Amino acid sequence: MLVLSAAGAVVLLTSVLPLARLLTEIPGAGAAALSVLSAFRPWLLLIRSLMLAAAVTACAIAIGVPLGLLIARTDLPGRRALWMVHAFPMFLPPFLLALGWFQLFGREGFLGGEVTARLLFSEVGLVAVLALTFSPVVTSMMALALLGMDASLEEAARVAARPWRVATRILLPAARPALGLAAILVFALSVSELGVPMFLRVDVFPAAVFARLGGIRYAPGEAFALVVPLMPVAIGLLFLERRLVGAGSFAVAGLRGMSRAPIPLGHWHPALAAVSWSIAVAGALPLGALALRGARGRGFGQLPQWIGLAPWTSLGTAVVAATVIVAVGLVLGHGVARRLRGASMLDALAVLAFVTPASVLGVGLIAVWNHPAMGGLYASVAILIVGYIARYAVVGIRAVASVVLQSPVHLEEAAAAAGARFWRRLTRIILPVNLRGVAAGLLLAMVFCLRDFETAVLYYPPGREPLPVRIFTLEANGPPPVVAALALSHVVLTAFVVAGGSLLVLRRRRA
Amino acid sequence: MSAAIGIEGVRIRYAGKLVIDELSLSIKPGEVLALLGPSGSGKTSVLRVILGFVTPETGTVRLDGEVASQEGRLLVLPEERGLAVVFQDLALWPHLSVAGNLAFGLNSRGVPRSERNARIRSILGRVGLTGKEHSHPGELSGGERQRVAIARALVLEPRAVLLDEPLSNLDVGLKRELLSIFRALLKERQTTALYVTHDLREAAALGDRIAVMEQGRVVQEGTLDSLRANPASSFVRTLLNDFSGAGTIDG
Repeated sequence: MLVLSAAGAVVLLTSVLPLARLLTEIPGAGAAALSVLSAFRPWLLLIRSLMLAAAVTACAIAIGVPLGLLIARTDLPGRRALWMVHAFPMFLPPFLLALGWFQLFGREGFLGGEVTARLLFSEVGLVAVLALTFSPVVTSMMALALLGMDASLEEAARVAARPWRVATRILLPAARPALGLAAILVFALSVSELGVPMFLRVDVFPAAVFARLGGIRYAPGEAFALVVPLMPVAIGLLFLERRLVGAGSFAVAGLRGMSRAPIPLGHWHPALAAVSWSIAVAGALPLGALALRGARGRGFGQLPQWIGLAPWTSLGTAVVAATVIVAVGLVLGHGVARRLRGASMLDALAVLAFVTPASVLGVGLIAVWNHPAMGGLYASVAILIVGYIARYAVVGIRAVASVVLQSPVHLEEAAAAAGARFWRRLTRIILPVNLRGVAAGLLLAMVFCLRDFETAVLYYPPGREPLPVRIFTLEANGPPPVVAALALSHVVLTAFVVAGGSLLVLRRRRA
Repeated sequence: MSAAIGIEGVRIRYAGKLVIDELSLSIKPGEVLALLGPSGSGKTSVLRVILGFVTPETGTVRLDGEVASQEGRLLVLPEERGLAVVFQDLALWPHLSVAGNLAFGLNSRGVPRSERNARIRSILGRVGLTGKEHSHPGELSGGERQRVAIARALVLEPRAVLLDEPLSNLDVGLKRELLSIFRALLKERQTTALYVTHDLREAAALGDRIAVMEQGRVVQEGTLDSLRANPASSFVRTLLNDFSGAGTIDG
């Protein structure tokens, strides 16, 4: 109970306190600040943001559902490689990809002109960039759910029906909880998105909050007021997650592998392979454009002068935050899976912090930690760690819960009956038995922290900005080849982390 | 002398459904009680309430006279009950070797290293697993895994061992061999045991007494002969009639 309380305290302190503080801070913002809500424009921006997020979600589902099915259950050639190429962009800050698309289709881009630039710098461009960035979330969650499904469910249907009917009547309905969670995730990420709309000059609500904290229209009171309409959005998403997805949302981590015979695509084989690979390659194209721009303009040679401490800040804070996230996740995720009292409530609060638009959480973190008594913490990289834990605690909880649910409870009960107390069971039985899932959670949490921009940009300590923030701030005034080279260095850093982490997880699986 | 395990008027409900209703049961020290009943009769729930994984809605669970659970309250945690369990799926910890599996509980209970090693050596010899100390569960045969599970429970020298249908998926030959090992070990150590099963042959081969369960209640208790001589209900009569060769499984 003590361990559970300590883990709960971390979630309450980092994730919940900022949101609670906002509720008390808003009335004190003053009538003048609150009057910003009586204007028409913020509400228009909010509607536009919600509509854009809905459009991104719809497009991501349209791409991700068939692709997930093709990857997980058919004989599509090179489907694992396809999955890797398609999934990698989701590990990057979306504005990095927007930067790549700009190198391709901007006015002076490799393939660009006036028309392509106009299209890119519009709502259509925004939806296209974000849909390609976030569709791997849907693809991956669908594929994992399908791979984790009991083979007998599918085989029983295969005896009686053709593959198409099996796919539409058995596989897709069985993966519905994963699809629901993926849709909520993509919508939440899209609503929070700040970097891409700002880069593509599309006015959205989070940018209005950021502008009031970032100096252009400095008015922190108004920023507090502007988070009010975003709170119901977060609560609505939490409600949807609980109501529509519920416990099914844990069943997304497939552990059985592709052990069943794949569904043959027959004469559709070449066409579907061409479409699938085109989508995957399209998602990765901006990275190629960044590499080309960086190389042509000798941006890579100038990297040492511009990069500063940013990669170390990113990596160091991500490692520390991910370790805390997974430690908290181990306790709470196990608690959720085993239905321990209070764990489900803490999980819901962590979900709330994640689906809350990043600008709201960021403003809340500022309200809590930007205090003379907290000066040491707020002015240091520690605030980045606190922010990452606040927003991504749910990643650790869900990763652990999904694997613990798949391990027999008797392993723990046998340990308890043998006299082991909770801490001993946690460290000697639960952790080793579920080590692969915990390692995957650590990797996922690290990637989320590395790609974070929307929260960190609001409160990063001077001179210690993480790499995405540094790239974004340089993007406006820095030489384009250097910015492209910096962006690519972030890609390489992420690739190293993902590849190294995946190797460890897979090695553990073989062991 | 108080019972090693005593259950009085226990009622358990899962999601509103009553699974154990006013159940009372007593096991004397050193006695092996076989709890016999069909699937869904509530046998495993009885085992779990004794272990402390389920809290009774009403009634009391006593261990050596000490109240362990009472009226919705868990007074003694599972890890403090001094019991041992063998589950149907054995629940061997896959990341620990055979010796690691056996040492885990001894370490948890603070047994000194020298005594721990001696006890592990002795029990492994007794179940015929000498030389397998460093093997992992995945490297063992089905029968060897069963022996490890039994050894893991008995090495703790628990106040009672609870066995939840540990032989249900085995062939008759292996079942006979393991029942003989169980019985010898339990008797030579005078270990109190509750053996949950749906198979009358296993119950008859191992139990000093048999308690028959039906729909969350114990409907009759006694030796196999007394049950046969005077079945308390048509359910018990049918259960006994379904099996005509009780006692033959142990050879």
